Amino acid sequence: MSDTKGYMTALTIRLEDELFAVEASRVREILDLVPITEVPSARAFVGGLINVRGRVVPLADLRVMFGMERPAPDQDTRIVVMEVDIDGEPTIAGILADKVHDVTDIESASIEEAPKVGMRWRPEFVKGIGKRNGGFIIIPDMERIFETPGGRSASAAASEERPAA
Amino acid sequence: MTKTILTIDDSASIRQMVSMTLTAAGLDVIEAVNGQDGYDKATTNTVHAVITDLNMPVLNGIEFIRKYRQHPSSKGIPIILLTTESDEELKRQAKEAGATGWIVKPFKQDQLLAVIKKVTGA
Amino acid sequence: MNISDPSETFRQEARELLDQLEAGLLDLEQDPSNNDLINSTFRALHTIKGSGAMFGFTAVAEFVHEFETAFDRVRKGQSAANKALIGVALDAKDHIHLLIENPDAPIDGGASILSELRVIVEEGAIDEDGEPVHAAPVAVAAPVAPVVAEAPKPAENGAKVWRLTFYLPSDALIYGTNPELLLGELAGIGPTSVLALSDRVPTLDVIDPETSYLGWQVDITTSEDPTAAIDDVFLFLRDNMELTLAPLGGADTPVAVAEAVQAASDDAMPEAPFVPEPVAKVEEAPAAKAAAPKRKPAEKAEAEKPAATSLRVPAERLDELMDRVGELVIAQARLSQIATQSSDGALKTIAEELERLSSGLRDTTMGIRMVPIGSIFSRFRRLVHDLSNDLGKPIEFITTGEETELDKTMIERLADPLVHLIRNSVDHGLESAEKRIAAGKSPTGTVRLSAVYSGAEVAISVIDDGAGLNHDRIRAKAEENGLIAPDAKLTDQELNHLIFAPGFSTANEVTALSGRGVGMDVVKRTIDGLRGTIDVSTTPGKGSVFTLRLPLTLAIIDGMLVRVGNGRYTIPLAAVEECVELPEGIEANSKGRNFLDIRGALVPYLRLREVFGLKGEADAHQKVVIVSSGEGRVGLVVDQIIGNNQAVIKQLSKLHSGIKSFSGATILGDGEVALILDTAHLVASGQSYVDRNLGRAA
Repeated sequence: MSDTKGYMTALTIRLEDELFAVEASRVREILDLVPITEVPSARAFVGGLINVRGRVVPLADLRVMFGMERPAPDQDTRIVVMEVDIDGEPTIAGILADKVHDVTDIESASIEEAPKVGMRWRPEFVKGIGKRNGGFIIIPDMERIFETPGGRSASAAASEERPAA
Repeated sequence: MTKTILTIDDSASIRQMVSMTLTAAGLDVIEAVNGQDGYDKATTNTVHAVITDLNMPVLNGIEFIRKYRQHPSSKGIPIILLTTESDEELKRQAKEAGATGWIVKPFKQDQLLAVIKKVTGA
Repeated sequence: MNISDPSETFRQEARELLDQLEAGLLDLEQDPSNNDLINSTFRALHTIKGSGAMFGFTAVAEFVHEFETAFDRVRKGQSAANKALIGVALDAKDHIHLLIENPDAPIDGGASILSELRVIVEEGAIDEDGEPVHAAPVAVAAPVAPVVAEAPKPAENGAKVWRLTFYLPSDALIYGTNPELLLGELAGIGPTSVLALSDRVPTLDVIDPETSYLGWQVDITTSEDPTAAIDDVFLFLRDNMELTLAPLGGADTPVAVAEAVQAASDDAMPEAPFVPEPVAKVEEAPAAKAAAPKRKPAEKAEAEKPAATSLRVPAERLDELMDRVGELVIAQARLSQIATQSSDGALKTIAEELERLSSGLRDTTMGIRMVPIGSIFSRFRRLVHDLSNDLGKPIEFITTGEETELDKTMIERLADPLVHLIRNSVDHGLESAEKRIAAGKSPTGTVRLSAVYSGAEVAISVIDDGAGLNHDRIRAKAEENGLIAPDAKLTDQELNHLIFAPGFSTANEVTALSGRGVGMDVVKRTIDGLRGTIDVSTTPGKGSVFTLRLPLTLAIIDGMLVRVGNGRYTIPLAAVEECVELPEGIEANSKGRNFLDIRGALVPYLRLREVFGLKGEADAHQKVVIVSSGEGRVGLVVDQIIGNNQAVIKQLSKLHSGIKSFSGATILGDGEVALILDTAHLVASGQSYVDRNLGRAA
């Protein structure tokens, strides 16, 4: 992760009423809402495609993976275009965000492992929980989230170890 | 006036090497891929010397020399044969056909330049 | 400007030459006295050796040298191009290939190939009457050993004047010798004083201006013996010119360099004469069990490529070009969009012109990437040849459609699947010669490889006349591996397709060649990855046909834009046969069977709204786009046909590539994304609908 630096440079975004942090270095651009082409028979998580500078990019809605409500987009809605690893291969994807906040450093020391029980969301999708300004920031495990069904989850889970924050 | 050398060889790598060597020395180079192609190019361009391989499809080196020497534009133009053999019989045949000289393969770039200088003064 | 490394060019060149060499050797095996083939084989070896030495591939040059010599003997009629020689030459070709790819790594095996070669050459020696020569090894005409000219005289103490007198051969001028240059070179040895000798110049009336009559007397002042230097100046002329050299004054005897002296040049390469080693054991040529692969007449080029008209371009440049053309097409589509909505006449005209130009550019660029599939077909000849030998099954290998063109990248990815299929046919499909005879077939099995265009696709087939797929064995194996329930009812087609399931195999033993038949599921996955389909049909006892269908291009297509619900989709135009209106009230009339009557033929149709799971009411007056793929057709029911568009195909990411109805996406003129329908899959869906309902069709 960013342990070597001692902190994680993150872009904070809001989904519903929670704050999430994604690796800033992987963000390519942030777009206002653009027309979304629906993909029939696709999983709800990646139900759409968008055009980013002549490139066809899948649009992902993390709210699906976290079991959240999904109200219609409004003027704060943004699309964060970033690089994610899908089954080990880097791919460009768009992430819907209800609101994009800022780029901030999160001290690695302040990142804790997600509790196995009692959490609203599925712990396997959460890499850690950081603190900032008195609030919590969820650091999603993008690789796990984007894993395709039949991807590497079996082998990855066996060999994966979370580096201590 | 910049001198133009015609290089005839069915091997692209040899042509490339000859071309690079000669253009670096300030000469212009025309490439041909076999004896017939060489003949066509020699008789339709102004060339000051010809370097030709021996073993080529369609028309080999010695056949090319014979044919070219029958064309009036070949008068006085030096023809150098590239050969991997130092077969004296072959050299005799080549001279008889009208070759001016030869270079034995493998050759180094400066050897090539030396021979070109020898026969063209360039 | 591109300056690439000549040794890399050599590598590429050598690879091509090796391919040519292999094809030539295989052809030569069928036709051992074909002089053209012998010559071209010799030439290929010669070029590899010569160029290899030039660019530092000395191991290659040395190894090839002996082969070149062997084929030179064949060329001169001193040795026969028998099967043994071809066999060892093919081994040598593989070895050379290794050496070229790894010039630095020490590679074994060369020595044993060479010693085998020597034995074979001995065995295959024939005398002038064409009779085989036995016993005594035949020595290759040893090249002339270098003869050093007169030993250089010891250097004189002080500067001396040497007088050199020479006359050039009469044709020297015509043949490109320039006396001025010679005199200039002589001046480089030391200060000279030159006198022209006109004693041989005839009178004007008989003079031929192109003949050399003049002689020269050149006095050179030098402290060292100039003999060697003068030899050098007259390097090319020594054999047939007149030259005398003597020091002036002094009592030293004149050193005469006589005419026609066989002086060797400085750069003579001593070549060791070919000495065949005595051998203790005679190696038998492998028994000619395999019948030869048949070569198609006329189709095969006469080995000569149209070299002067082709150009070598790095593949990345082509890809770059394709990308740019793709971007241009997108931008042009947007312009067309704006022009359609504008009332500016000039803008409309230019947009049309641009559309025409970009379409032409697209076609031309696509054409560059298209490569005849024959380029991979040829390697299969070697494969079948070797398989036939190894298995002891006589096989005839026929190819058709070598000129069928496919996108370059697609061809490369097809090589492995085709190898698997061919191996499978040879190993499991074709029976042994005995079994075939017992079954009343000819002992020689046939494997046919064909490629042909079919609408928007290319169909590549591997056909064998072997035993066919054994449905009972397939069924048993599938049940054993838990792939199907014991009493499941399966159509023949479904049984056939079981062989593509992972982990499936009906091979009684694991053969070294095909492994456990694990190749089949990998083949299917590769073909899926190319957005193609694989089909198999079989007749027990008669043989099997494996057919791959692949889209013609990966990059830009003409599409028909349609609307289904709120979404727009592109259908590859090459797959579209026609469009019709969906008859009103068709549901009621066809009693739930979705078939259309198109001029008497029943064509199944799919309501895309249903396929896509869209809710809501369909528009009135729905349209049906009839598409075809291979032999099948299906009608796709859409809400509206919008028009045609050029679609630059964008691959779908892993997140969507598994959705079978779509083969990619494209960006429309207004910037929105539209999905491209996978017509092959939709036709197959329609087909299985037909299959399931066939019994109930009217």
